[in-house]
Amino acid sequence: MPDQAQSPYLPIPMHVLHAYYESTDHSLKTLELSFDDPQDARDFFAAFNPGQFCLLSVIGKGESALGVASAAWEGDFVRFTAQKLGSVTTALHALKPGDPIGMRGPLGNGFPLEGWKGKNLVIIGGGCAFSTLYALTKHLHHPSNRGDYGKLTVIYGTRTSGLCMYKQDIAAWHQRDDMEVHQAIDVPEQDWLHHVGYVPDVVKEVRPSPVNSVAVVCGPPIMTKFTLPALVELGFSPETIFTSLEKRMKCGLGKCGRCNLGPKYICKDGPVFSLAELNALPADL
Amino acid sequence: MNLILKKDQLNIVLNAWRQDYEVYAPQSLQNITHFLPLQDGFELALNNAHNTRIPPKALFLPTSEALLKFTRFGGYEQIPSETAPRVIFGVRPCDAHALTMLDTVFEQERYTDPHWQARRDATVIVGLGCHEPCQTGFCTTVGSGPFNHTGLDAILTDLGEIFLVETLTEKGERLFTQLEPSSEDQNTHASQLQQSAADRMPIAFETDGLKQKLDQNFTSPYWEEVSRSCLGCGVCTFLCPTCFCFDIVDEAHRGERVRNWDTCMFRTYSLEASGHNPRPSRVERTRQRLSHKYSYWVDQINQIGCTGCGRCVRYCPVGLDIRAMLRKAHQLPSEVPHA
Repeated sequence: MPDQAQSPYLPIPMHVLHAYYESTDHSLKTLELSFDDPQDARDFFAAFNPGQFCLLSVIGKGESALGVASAAWEGDFVRFTAQKLGSVTTALHALKPGDPIGMRGPLGNGFPLEGWKGKNLVIIGGGCAFSTLYALTKHLHHPSNRGDYGKLTVIYGTRTSGLCMYKQDIAAWHQRDDMEVHQAIDVPEQDWLHHVGYVPDVVKEVRPSPVNSVAVVCGPPIMTKFTLPALVELGFSPETIFTSLEKRMKCGLGKCGRCNLGPKYICKDGPVFSLAELNALPADL
Repeated sequence: MNLILKKDQLNIVLNAWRQDYEVYAPQSLQNITHFLPLQDGFELALNNAHNTRIPPKALFLPTSEALLKFTRFGGYEQIPSETAPRVIFGVRPCDAHALTMLDTVFEQERYTDPHWQARRDATVIVGLGCHEPCQTGFCTTVGSGPFNHTGLDAILTDLGEIFLVETLTEKGERLFTQLEPSSEDQNTHASQLQQSAADRMPIAFETDGLKQKLDQNFTSPYWEEVSRSCLGCGVCTFLCPTCFCFDIVDEAHRGERVRNWDTCMFRTYSLEASGHNPRPSRVERTRQRLSHKYSYWVDQINQIGCTGCGRCVRYCPVGLDIRAMLRKAHQLPSEVPHA
């Protein structure tokens, strides 16, 4: 019997490098994973593009789809931030440095970075969906990438300041002269120096210019629902507005049928779609 | 070339194949016809004009199948998908046609499913055309037919005492090396019979413009009306030869990651961990089932994702009839007026 092709269902063997809470309420935890086999790392980074996701396997528990929250230049590790919700993410939260874990990916299309070259980028995130936008911002910060893009504006809102992820990095972003950062929380807190309000309202307040710009929106459905029309109102055309979709997933390969949205599979054809593409699809989200 | 297989020689031919292949054919098990491997002294169940209850897709995508094994070190290893050469005899054209649609899912360029591919590669499919229309089938309505060749390596036409054998691929030719060629008269008889079988299949509903009707009426009360009596049991999808949805679960007690058939008709299918469900009721789930077959497949492969086997009609416990549902869909307005 000839050697069989490697199964696309087989996870890459990984180990937990670092595990730490991302939010003060411990609902969000970040895992940084290292590759057991250096060849797997080379294959992964040859294919990786910000905006892609992976399926993380906890043995005996199953798989969970999570967006990649690191840029390739950061090192031979992959970062994810998981909200503790179901049985797999609960098991992910229990992992400690040194524990084995499986990973399939990178999966999906990622952000169309080639087409965005020379443009101003408006990055708008809400809650834990900011993870892939964090990867995108980190990617853009690398000196060999930064020159390819124009003005960089980040708008990031969370319910409370404690739920804000990647706090140290974001604090440092405020000091950079090559980007503009707007942070927001839903309700006022003592010593909060940034915006207070919902992300769509902050977008209307910041009024990013649509001229030679693209906007990327990732957040909970309710935030996305009101942010997309706000951008259209500011003059962004549906072709220049992008969002990353989520649905329940199993295979991540466009076979199990679960994440279909009309004729598309979010796992294989997405997760990143332009608003123009979304407008042509049924409202089955 | 067309060949003649005498019916009293059939078991001899099947037994000869058993030297080189595992041979599956319709046999009765507790009064239900299944594709089962032939054992010594087998008895075929070819007389029922209708199809097996479970379509032969189950021989390629088993209802439950282990994909990976847990290792001692907290990892996973691949379970090889070994399949011995096999023949499936007596497959109806609707079911063979459906397999070619599933190929477009499991044999995509980027991620070929090794389990599906190994079984497809190892299998020769000998079809049995339907000379008597079955009651709930509507193959000719949806672009298939009682003697459709798609997905078959050979097809048999029942001419009474004999079968006329048409080999359609090299794999099929290799199975029928010992048979006599048919006469002109026999060929003519067969093609008349094939034509008359197709002619006797009524057109069940209009397919022209059907996709557009479904797309344009995504929020119509129509979906509530046609899903009202649905129990959500999922039998229409489990027994459908073009349905392929599956779940992947870790079965910790046996140390395996397993894929099982799943269905978009269940609430938990699309239920997300946050509690959000894009298809919270049978209304949205019925819309998904019909739209997938009659709209989304059309976008993807330019074919209706249904071959008209009629199982969803025959086995629905409350008598929901997709033909009636689609006739009704055709009466819907073409553009939904904006409220």
